[in-house]
Amino acid sequence: MITILAAGVSAELVSFLEHRLSGASVKLVRTGHEALEALAQSGWQLLVVDQYLTDPPAVDVLAAMRELPASELLPVIYCLDEHASSELQTKLVKELGVEQLCYHPLDREELARYASIWLKLSLRAQPEERNQEQEAILAAVAGLWPRFEGATLERIELVEQAISALLEGELSDELRRKAEWESHKLAGSVGSFGFKEASRIAAEIERSFRAKASIGQGQALALSELAATLRRELESRPAGRLKDGLAPSNDSGPVLLIVDSDQKFAQLLADEAGARDVRAEVANDASRARQSLGRCSPDVVILDLSLPQESGNGLRLLEELGARHPPVSSLILAASDSLIDRVEVARRGSKYFLQKPLPPSEIIDAVMQLLKGRSARESKILAVDDDPLVLAALRALLEPRGMRVITLDEPLRFWEVLEHTMPNLILLDVDMPHLSGIELCRVVRNDPRWFGIPTLFLTAHRDAETIERVFAAGADDFVCKPIVGLELLTRITNKLEHARLYRTFVETDPLTGVANRRKSTTMLNQLIRLASRLHQPLSFVMLDLDHFKQVNDQYGHAVGDQVLRRLGAFMSKAFRSEDVVARWGGEEFTIGLFGMASQDAVRRMTRVLEAFRQETFTTSAGAEFHVTFSAGVAQYPEDGIELQSLYRAADKALYQAKKGGRNRVHVTEYRSQQLLEKQYA
Amino acid sequence: MTIRRILIVDDEDDIREVAQVSLEMVAGWEVSTANCGSAGLKMASADPPDAILMDVMMPDMDGPATFQKLQADPAIRHIPVILLTAKLQPADRRRFAELGVAGVLAKPFDPLQLASQVTEVLHWAR
Repeated sequence: MITILAAGVSAELVSFLEHRLSGASVKLVRTGHEALEALAQSGWQLLVVDQYLTDPPAVDVLAAMRELPASELLPVIYCLDEHASSELQTKLVKELGVEQLCYHPLDREELARYASIWLKLSLRAQPEERNQEQEAILAAVAGLWPRFEGATLERIELVEQAISALLEGELSDELRRKAEWESHKLAGSVGSFGFKEASRIAAEIERSFRAKASIGQGQALALSELAATLRRELESRPAGRLKDGLAPSNDSGPVLLIVDSDQKFAQLLADEAGARDVRAEVANDASRARQSLGRCSPDVVILDLSLPQESGNGLRLLEELGARHPPVSSLILAASDSLIDRVEVARRGSKYFLQKPLPPSEIIDAVMQLLKGRSARESKILAVDDDPLVLAALRALLEPRGMRVITLDEPLRFWEVLEHTMPNLILLDVDMPHLSGIELCRVVRNDPRWFGIPTLFLTAHRDAETIERVFAAGADDFVCKPIVGLELLTRITNKLEHARLYRTFVETDPLTGVANRRKSTTMLNQLIRLASRLHQPLSFVMLDLDHFKQVNDQYGHAVGDQVLRRLGAFMSKAFRSEDVVARWGGEEFTIGLFGMASQDAVRRMTRVLEAFRQETFTTSAGAEFHVTFSAGVAQYPEDGIELQSLYRAADKALYQAKKGGRNRVHVTEYRSQQLLEKQYA
Repeated sequence: MTIRRILIVDDEDDIREVAQVSLEMVAGWEVSTANCGSAGLKMASADPPDAILMDVMMPDMDGPATFQKLQADPAIRHIPVILLTAKLQPADRRRFAELGVAGVLAKPFDPLQLASQVTEVLHWAR
């Protein structure tokens, strides 16, 4: 009989654990004193203790326990409040040897699961074996559903209306607020009827509407797909399905599994991940890792190669990860930089090979990259060829690999389809009626939104002249017809991967995820050229966080980094895909707004400022604060015809904004003068 | 503390009904319901329950505002209040906790677990 000591938890939890863990008996003690008395005897296999234990308090009990020969190695599950300081949590794990932290309000199932893992016990009463009483309750709840189905579908209809309005570019503020409300309500209610997935989707839709920034076309299309899925989920279900998987959860964030025998380091990694809103689980050896994998499906796994041998080595675990469906992205930590190791690891499909020692923040940076890549929508390929047989062959080749293929046999509709579908890669035939692929390629390279997109040609021509024309038009690669499947596939996947990596490493600011200065300079120059050719205005904004030095001084650089990260995320969502958002350095950002005159830009920036002001930042100590920024707006060509002069003008306007009290957006003097004159004209 | 009577305040019919069925059948509690903050306050004054389960996002008067009105009334301020919300960012949780409510529970809730979660929260809200 396995014996568990429970100190300071509720009697109800005790009876739950006894019920769920087959072969375990649980003894409850109510004070720290009683706990220590019990712990002086040997025979306990697990201690479950709550933060609220008193007389003496839980932390003291644990410290004393580690001095008792009978219990010094006893595994501990510690229940505590979420708001507990990270100092306490670190101390519990690192100094007092707590194996697992569980947060209030306690998820009894999860606690029972942890206990079952440490004790190697099986769990009784698996979900399918619900007892009669539970069945009756579920049946009663299922019986309620038909009465509320109608009202629920009406909520969805309103959300769908908002999305249609959005696609037409006519979403009013009121409709948007309504859609946010309705999707919030959906997220909070349908889960109780057993619609776990629908609840998650509704929450995602709510987040989009809540974002307070304009929703781009691509995102609007994604929303409409989500709404369709939501409707399908809620319409298709027979009442009986309430019985399987009734465990709605608000936790739809990414999950990281850390497999490292260095408990302290693993916890540091977990803390760093937690600070970035990534849930982390820790396993100290391969068998615990496998147990963890059995319970949840992590998105990314950090695996330290030097795991203790007896539980199966790291490489085998890595193989297992690759064989899972869907495969899990892995990041390897190695103590030495051996080529053999790198090869072995790469062969098994790992994404990154990092050599210890490395600061946790860098390792988690890499994890964030992996997560970003994973959540990127599946690859979409636009294939243009007048020969339907070729299009069919492309479909047959690429779709089984998980790539979505949009085919087009009429080149004249190219632009409309491109805008509507937003692919990641384009395949073009050279010879087509009306418009050749070469002309299409030139058109693509001319547009600020698309000029970077990987473009491959398929052609039966092998002559040097055609090849030259193809590359001169801006193609990335060409493949000869008849298509050799494997070759095309490899070239496509390589191009997609390179494009993504390039964008990530060479062009992106690692902290915030927006373009870096170098990339944005290129893009802004391109935008200026385009604005000139098409006689369009262009607004250039310089943005600087207010009192940022104080944030760093007062709360530390880790918090300052979080502020920057959040601002970066905010800005990426707040602007259209043709706008250029970049981190120019430190706490300075720039935005290039194509086709927008400065008045509109000022309005837009003011709205973004108002929204950003409302973001709450919290430090680990629980302090809350808000951040504002100041911005200066310049316009092309009035304030300058090249980037340097636009930059200087916007900078001056930014200075005025700061002088004027910060937390505001200023336009250049020249423009404000012009606008004044217009008013009085 | 033993709970015998609980008041549920939520503007949504389906939430009220599922919560009611769940708490009545699982815990055997006497459940009364109100569809808005003001009705909830009236009912709590007229017939004080042992605890109140209250939605955050309600039109007119939201959960936190209702809670503050409750705190202002000496006759009913002692009643522990648990907020129900689908917004569960740590910042939101902290904000609610600072109001002085007994606890916060996540929506959507599992009808099989609601009663024990409520009990758990109230157990620690001394």
